[in-house]
Amino acid sequence: MVMALLNRIWRMIKENKGRYIGIVILILLGSFYFIAATGVANNLEKMVVGFAEEYSQEDLTFSTDRPIENIAALESESGAVIEAYRQYDVKLPNGELRLLGLPSKINLPAVLSGRGLENPGEILLDPNFCMLHGLKIGDQIELNGKPFHIVGTMAVPNYVYIIKNLYDVLPTNGFGIGIVSATDIEAFPEAVTVYAAIFEDRENLNAQIAKLHELLSEKGYSLSEWIDAKSNKRISLPWGNITSMKSMSFPVSMVFFLLSCLIVGVMITRMVKSDSVVIGTLYAQGYRRRELTWHYMAIPVLLSAGGGLAGILLALPCVKPVVDSMLVFYILPAKGITFSPLNLSLAVLMPVAFIGLSSFLVVRKVLKKTAGELMKGDEQKAKVNSLERALRLDRFKFNTKFQIREQIRSIPRLLFLVLGVSAASMILLYGFTFNYSMDVVMDKGALARYRYPLEYNFKEVRNIQDGGIPEGAEPYNAFRGYPEGRQVVEFYLVGMEPDSIGFNINDMQGNPLSRDQVNITSPLASRLKLKEGDTIRFVNKLDGKSYSLTIDGIVQAYGEQVVYMPLDEFNRMTGQPLGSYRTVLSSHEIDFDPSLLAGVMDARHPEAYEDLNRPTTLIVTSVTTLAVLIAVIIIFLVTSLMIDESRNTISLLKVLGYRGKELAKLILNSSTPAVFIGFWLGLPFMLAFGNILYGIVAEMMNMVIPMIVNPLYVLISFVLIFAVYEITQWLCGRKLAKISMSEALKAGTE
Amino acid sequence: MQNNAIQVKGLQKSYKKLQVLKGVDFEVEKGSIFALLGSNGLNQMLERLKKKNGVLTMFLSVSNLTKSYNTGIISHVLKGVDLEMERGQIGVILGPSGSGKSTLMNIIGGVDRADGGTVEVDDERITDLDDKQLVEYRRESVGFVFQYYNLVPNLTVAENIEVVSNISKRPLNTDEVLAAVGLSDKKNRFPRELSGGEQQRVSIARAIVKNPKLLLCDEPTGALDLEASQDVLALLEKVNAQFGTTILMITHNSAIAGMAHAVFRLRSGEVAEVAHNSELIAAERIEW
Repeated sequence: MVMALLNRIWRMIKENKGRYIGIVILILLGSFYFIAATGVANNLEKMVVGFAEEYSQEDLTFSTDRPIENIAALESESGAVIEAYRQYDVKLPNGELRLLGLPSKINLPAVLSGRGLENPGEILLDPNFCMLHGLKIGDQIELNGKPFHIVGTMAVPNYVYIIKNLYDVLPTNGFGIGIVSATDIEAFPEAVTVYAAIFEDRENLNAQIAKLHELLSEKGYSLSEWIDAKSNKRISLPWGNITSMKSMSFPVSMVFFLLSCLIVGVMITRMVKSDSVVIGTLYAQGYRRRELTWHYMAIPVLLSAGGGLAGILLALPCVKPVVDSMLVFYILPAKGITFSPLNLSLAVLMPVAFIGLSSFLVVRKVLKKTAGELMKGDEQKAKVNSLERALRLDRFKFNTKFQIREQIRSIPRLLFLVLGVSAASMILLYGFTFNYSMDVVMDKGALARYRYPLEYNFKEVRNIQDGGIPEGAEPYNAFRGYPEGRQVVEFYLVGMEPDSIGFNINDMQGNPLSRDQVNITSPLASRLKLKEGDTIRFVNKLDGKSYSLTIDGIVQAYGEQVVYMPLDEFNRMTGQPLGSYRTVLSSHEIDFDPSLLAGVMDARHPEAYEDLNRPTTLIVTSVTTLAVLIAVIIIFLVTSLMIDESRNTISLLKVLGYRGKELAKLILNSSTPAVFIGFWLGLPFMLAFGNILYGIVAEMMNMVIPMIVNPLYVLISFVLIFAVYEITQWLCGRKLAKISMSEALKAGTE
Repeated sequence: MQNNAIQVKGLQKSYKKLQVLKGVDFEVEKGSIFALLGSNGLNQMLERLKKKNGVLTMFLSVSNLTKSYNTGIISHVLKGVDLEMERGQIGVILGPSGSGKSTLMNIIGGVDRADGGTVEVDDERITDLDDKQLVEYRRESVGFVFQYYNLVPNLTVAENIEVVSNISKRPLNTDEVLAAVGLSDKKNRFPRELSGGEQQRVSIARAIVKNPKLLLCDEPTGALDLEASQDVLALLEKVNAQFGTTILMITHNSAIAGMAHAVFRLRSGEVAEVAHNSELIAAERIEW
């Protein structure tokens, strides 16, 4: 390729800098998002999975009423490795520290700083606890009068998310964990024994867990705080972030790359057609088709490779801060940040492949013609497409006619605008809807269901006949189950008294449902495609037993997956004595013996749970910024193209006496209907996309997030998109003003 | 001669460059009573002359117009052009390529600015107008016809005309204008579907729909064959006769000069020659 043609490429890029920068940014966003999302997800997963594997994370934890006699025999019967460790909660002036005896087989601690335990009287603490209480390595801490020397900080695999009780949602203020030697913990006589189990066979964990439960029950042990890793929030919470990031990374990047394909296709078509006489001349001079193809492919390939590389380079330093911000909530050993070579290659190769291929097809189409045909210049003549020909606009005012024709003149350009605005609107609406849905779940979801705001969960089953339930409190019994054949869809089956009022249970119209029947929450019903009169067949996760119930009512709910039934029927069904309960709901505080309690849930101050929503606020802010940026780029690119394509017309209109504002109205405002349609298309796209995404999250995390669209946020999104549109139009108006009348005076045919 | 009290032969009189008498011949016998009656043409001519401050003025008056361009080298395109036209006349500017014809027309049309000199159109000094005022001047007073038609390719014939009627205060009816140019049956066609001559007729229709005072035509037949050119010239003739529009045309084709009232030959940025045709050649008889 001669140097002159190469020079031409750089000149062409320089002549339309703004436009090419816009396209590079679109591609960059796609690559950036892909690398950032996969980077965060993969690194988090690597940390979480790595930690679990390297440090032997438990599959199950439980407590018994008495020490297990022959652990080795139980291990060989159940196929599990079982370890007992001691645990004791020490009350401190401004907090509480859970001491754990140093294990040797399961849940091994990872030293984050300092060193491991070597001598008696040494302690490892979790780093958040140290920060909160102003402690550092080398300090001493006194626990029940016994001094301990802090030798390091640690993470344990069964306390990735440090909550005090298994049923807690938020970390308890001032609560932390510490590891001491097995000898040292024996100095605390009130320490309890807790068991952890890992199964050697990694398949069918639920069945193995159920089998172990059966074995222990047969041996006469009474079990409490029986919880598997997947249901244990201390272990499972990071997976929500990992799953949603992974599932979004590919589709979102694809949207950016496809949009870029469209606009690059439009630009290359224009470029090649306007150069058709030149191309024909070069053909006639002896240039080969291949040489000319590569010449015109150079710009799209350069743009896509450049954008892809830039996206990668920008994303690489962003991953660590995002992962670190998530590690504020999760205590994990930080491994170095790594990136998959495959993903890095894809981030460049995908845009090059997409955009390269679409450009190649466009260029080849023109280059198929002979030199003679090209030199005639027919390609340069503005063609009228069939839609333009078919339209009869007689009844419209001139301005409307002109604007309609201006838009439909280039269908790919129009499509790019509509789809681009849809994408931006979709992202914007998605962010707001996600945030609002989470707010609704907080306001009207599980917490709002508690009319009696205090939930006391006992370690062992109790009975109403034994007394102890005061006025204003109600007994409940529950177990965790899953539908037959769908282990991932776990839900609570809750038994309640027929006259209970502790939970709000209303139908879809808001009318109270009878408690003396089987009621299912609407998210669960929707997920399992159940309606009133249908039968649900399910398995008790604890013991593997199967049951079936007929649905009598659907409960209006936001996210929760629960089946409610009469308490007596529950106890009969599960073979427990009538009056058995494990939970008490109360309207006021009850002074239960803390040693009997597995946990207490306090729904009196729901605003305390707003902290849980902090990650979503971050997501909404970044998503809103992203959407606005996309809208600006797309509207700017299209308007810029439109002005370019209409240069001669604009110049002519100036000669004919059109005023600046009239021109702006005619040319720039012609895009308004397309932007309007694009926005309203974004709404159904968002609902479809959101449903798919939420469905994935539901299947993977067993967390049903309802999609609730707030009209106010739709209005805000609309205003934002149109504000961006107006501002971009104003900026493009300056480009319009620069077009000189001499272009029309010198122009031949357009 | 002995019987003639008055004998007038070839009398000519110009007043401020306005040729009032262009060769008058008559005789009056002794003892006869004679009356000088004003002809329609004479009255029209007098009507065309406006009085300004008691002084008769021309419709278009260009005085000592200069214009240079700096493209690395300074080119003096107009070096002091003087030109006058009466209202309702057809004027032709002839000259070779590079003589400054287009530049002169652009300045008269308010599309470009002069470096020196003045242009007055209908008592309005164009050269004193600012940009906004020039827009209004073009909008209200001037129609343009271009060599390559400059139609908007994605608007129909009718819509191309509406481009101008849309901004005119008192536009003519689009259908009537289309009928006048003989394109009523093609109002929904697109420019690409018309011949060159037809496209130029659309361009003329677009220019006259606003009923402009002045119609500026830049090589209106430059891209057409003889037959199409004759049609276009005939149309311009018709426009001039029917609407009284003053028409100024640029052409390098001296044959077209025969249909003009005034012919200005431009050479190297100056008016080298001015001629006035007492008898005009009809457009359909012009050949080259």
